[in-house]
Amino acid sequence: MTDWAGAWLAVSEHPLFGLGLTLGLYQLALALYEKTRWVFLQPMLVCVCLLSLVLWLLQIPYARYAASSELLTLLLGPATVALAVPLFLNLRRVRQLLLPTVVTLLVAGSVATVLGVLLAWWLGLESWLLLTLAPKSVTSPIAMLVAEQIGGVAALAAVFVIITGIIGVLLGPEFLRRCGITHPAAQGLALGLTSHAIGTARALQEGEECGGFSALAMSLMGVSTAVLLPLLVALWV
Amino acid sequence: MLLRGITALVLFQLLGSALQVLLLPMLPGPIIGLLLLFAWLLLNGEVSPAINEGASALLRYLPLLLVPPSAGVILYAEQLADDLLALAFVLSLSLVLSLWFSGFLMQRLIERQQRLKHAKEHRHD
Repeated sequence: MTDWAGAWLAVSEHPLFGLGLTLGLYQLALALYEKTRWVFLQPMLVCVCLLSLVLWLLQIPYARYAASSELLTLLLGPATVALAVPLFLNLRRVRQLLLPTVVTLLVAGSVATVLGVLLAWWLGLESWLLLTLAPKSVTSPIAMLVAEQIGGVAALAAVFVIITGIIGVLLGPEFLRRCGITHPAAQGLALGLTSHAIGTARALQEGEECGGFSALAMSLMGVSTAVLLPLLVALWV
Repeated sequence: MLLRGITALVLFQLLGSALQVLLLPMLPGPIIGLLLLFAWLLLNGEVSPAINEGASALLRYLPLLLVPPSAGVILYAEQLADDLLALAFVLSLSLVLSLWFSGFLMQRLIERQQRLKHAKEHRHD
């Protein structure tokens, strides 16, 4: 008698099962993206979709998966700390336009954040969804932390962030040019501020200046949102 | 080198978590760690090879690290299904408007700065 059920249990209840499953599906998602180069197929989003499907098919509760993939989740904190390095490097690169950059960041960054929340409120969405939507223009690791801190849902925030990034790239520099925004620094800043890392990848294709400003805008937007949004929410509520 | 960089990042994160409890309960621990590392880089004026290597290694795999917590979205599938249209509308419209606005504002400010610089140079003539 071959003990198929026993072997399956040994695999699916192994403490490395979640890690193995995630790594495997991520390879698949990466291969898919490399092959098609479609913006829609962001490896992280595809991987989350595949993973949800597999967990649902195998009837594995999310809590059990989360426990067996903790090795990855634990590294997210140090990876977030590491975002200080690109922030520092990008800030040094763009001294001449520092003032326009900082002003745009504060004004347009607040508009991007408040606009999303206002629209959602106007459509009658519940308050936990409003708080989850607030950090949608920020890079995912920061958005997840901020969402959780202010009372939203981290997992959802990450998904909103990726979808926002994809829409930003779909419109991209073409949309900005059509609106008369032609300066590479302005295009880069707009892409990085609203569409974080996904927008920055697109901006880099436009050239060095566009990409540099996008990376800077993404870092600054991330850090300023991380600091200001929880403070504002704490004062308000 | 790689290990030394990652060690530093983990220590900054732990320090951030301690400070969160002691001083700043409204900021997430890793964000405080990020600010501390940034201050450290400003003080040094450069990124040491070890920190650079550790940071690039972790940031290269950032999308992968984000997968397990994001998969938690399946717990909210039903609630999301009800609001799907509204959410799609909010995400698209707010993105279009803020993309345009930030580009527009930055372009105006750059033009203004160039005009002022130009005027200043002329005054010196």
